[in-house]
Amino acid sequence: MTTTATRPAARSTDRPRGGRSRWAATVRALPWLGPTLLLMAGVVFFPAGYMAWTSFRDLSQFGVDNGPAGLDNYARLLEFTALPRVLLNTVVWVVGVVVVTVLLSLGLAQFLDKAFPGRRFVRLTIIVPWAASVVMTTTVVYYGLDPFYGIINAFLVDVGLLDQPYGFTRNAVPAFFTAMGIAVFVSLPFTTYTLLAGLQTIPDDVREAAQMDGAGPWATYRRIILPLLRPALAVATIINIINVFNSLPILQVITGSIPGYNADTTTTLIFKFIRADRQIDTASALSIVNFLIVLAVILVYLKVVKPMRED
Amino acid sequence: MRRLVSLTAATMAAGLALTACGFGGDDGGSGDGGSDGGGSTSLDLLVPQYSDGTTALWDEIIASFEEANPDITVNLEVQSWDNINDVIRTKVQAGEAPDILNIDAFSGFAKDDLLYPADEVVSEDTFGDFQESFVDNASLDGTVYGLPMIASARALFYNEDVLAQAGITEPPATWEDLLAAGSAISALGTGVYGYGMPLGSEEAQAETSIWTFGGGGSWTDGDAITVETPENLAAVEFMKRMIDEGATQPDPGATDRTPMLDVFIQGSIAMAVGLPPTIGQIEERNPALNYGIAPVPTQDGSPVTLGVADHLMAFRNDDDKQDAIRAFLDHFFSTEVYLSFVDTEGFLPTTKSGAEGTANAERFADFLALLPDAQFYPSTNEAWAATQGALQNLLGQIQTQDAVSVLQQIQASADNA
Repeated sequence: MTTTATRPAARSTDRPRGGRSRWAATVRALPWLGPTLLLMAGVVFFPAGYMAWTSFRDLSQFGVDNGPAGLDNYARLLEFTALPRVLLNTVVWVVGVVVVTVLLSLGLAQFLDKAFPGRRFVRLTIIVPWAASVVMTTTVVYYGLDPFYGIINAFLVDVGLLDQPYGFTRNAVPAFFTAMGIAVFVSLPFTTYTLLAGLQTIPDDVREAAQMDGAGPWATYRRIILPLLRPALAVATIINIINVFNSLPILQVITGSIPGYNADTTTTLIFKFIRADRQIDTASALSIVNFLIVLAVILVYLKVVKPMRED
Repeated sequence: MRRLVSLTAATMAAGLALTACGFGGDDGGSGDGGSDGGGSTSLDLLVPQYSDGTTALWDEIIASFEEANPDITVNLEVQSWDNINDVIRTKVQAGEAPDILNIDAFSGFAKDDLLYPADEVVSEDTFGDFQESFVDNASLDGTVYGLPMIASARALFYNEDVLAQAGITEPPATWEDLLAAGSAISALGTGVYGYGMPLGSEEAQAETSIWTFGGGGSWTDGDAITVETPENLAAVEFMKRMIDEGATQPDPGATDRTPMLDVFIQGSIAMAVGLPPTIGQIEERNPALNYGIAPVPTQDGSPVTLGVADHLMAFRNDDDKQDAIRAFLDHFFSTEVYLSFVDTEGFLPTTKSGAEGTANAERFADFLALLPDAQFYPSTNEAWAATQGALQNLLGQIQTQDAVSVLQQIQASADNA
């Protein structure tokens, strides 16, 4: 209906006025965009908007709305004494996990790009951590590291590396690094496969040409392969940043029973505000801050690294 | 440039999608389509999962109720203890509170004016059958809102073999005894730890309360939440002494109760505070364990224990449901039905008729004897939920920090609530 109505109108206007015709084209596309837009509005913009609204309300611990709160919820965040440590943890968590994941994945992708006997099997092996549930993978490690009955702990004692079982998951710093290790492990498959797909789009003649011009393997990699991988690298990095930043389950399982805030990121802190402190409104405020942080990180990344530059 | 813009838009959307917390809405089974004849009422019942058999037990109770009351249907929803607080909060926020809820604390709902007073939703006979101490614990400003449903108390479980090995003949009755026994057992060098102290986020508030109540402390002065008091501080300092002198298992700050009790049952921890269901767990997992049950050690040896009561409560959703709610609750608290629930789940009864009739009187004798000395969490205080959360998340820090500053942090959370 809309299309038949707009088409003659678009035709009757002056052709040269491009802005107008583009507008008309957008209107014509609307029926096709509609379902997607509706879905986005329903599952993304409405919940996010509702959360933003909540962050300016005063909610009782059971969710009853007691009227506007102005900026009180945000002020309470600033007064929270453990915030600097939590922010530092968040930076360590995101940067550490993403950098290590991308570096390892670059190597793995390069390896899997080579033809060798049994390559299909190795490729399959790398995809396994992706297929397993994150909570399951994490729980396996958590039990393995348990000081009383964990097999990893028992193994370390048996081979003589430890005198007695150590509470890897019972102290903030080792538990946090354990969680980072698991985060890298579960992020590798996606990153590796994204980079592998990128590698396979690089035609062989480009590499051959580089060799003909006398470039060694390292120079070929740095000057030819890496720049051509940039779009794949950008996708892998950005998705990983978002994913790792918002990751709750790994830290929840590994560090959930550790007292204090020394092993928390902003995302797990949101959870503690809701569950322990019963402050839905403060948690909403922190969620908004969380969203702004991830947005800023990605914009800075795009600005500084210019991953989409085509030259 | 265009690609950059569209990429930014896409990442924004992705970021939003991943940052946005779940917006809880429940559309499953809420349609009260009165298709089966006029005048039918449907009640929503939300309960936590006490054991693997909880759902079947409720199904049975509901079936017998619906048989006697064909015009009322009861929709059961069972949630894990991990989730039920989030679920009920989301439901209340969405205006979809259940008609009847089974949970530990009721006062927040009562303060938000969401509940019927208890005497409006049960008959006089049912109401008069509750034990006095539990009714007091279920009141807010003189009005009873919660219906005490099940009770639990704590006692010291000890491994008789290990205690004998360390030359200890009597279970410890005072803190000093406990410290001496714990240190002696740890010093045996057999890999068995003296006292299991679970200060992880699962139930640090329970372990701490056992100690503070045992030292004459309290979490409230009747009005406000008082965490930082001389009695509480003395108790927490003694807990820290236990840790520092090696009388406990390593890293108590991050040890959760449930897995730790398994370690006790396996025999690697000599003493731990347990609950009535612990008896059944030992029977099931390590029947060979040679153990005894004694009152919880206190500062001077006088008996005190931590009592916990869970409650049923009725939400004021729809005034025409009040009679149906009363019918269901009276059915639940009728002696036979009630004892089938309490005895199967292995808890202590809260009604006078239940205490006389319980099949577990002998099995739980050690606990039933402690009930008169039970003290409760100040769960009618609105700030208690947040205080409990703070105790769970922060108290374990006494492993590395001094007791005063940890209590100050928790007091601050309580004052903030």
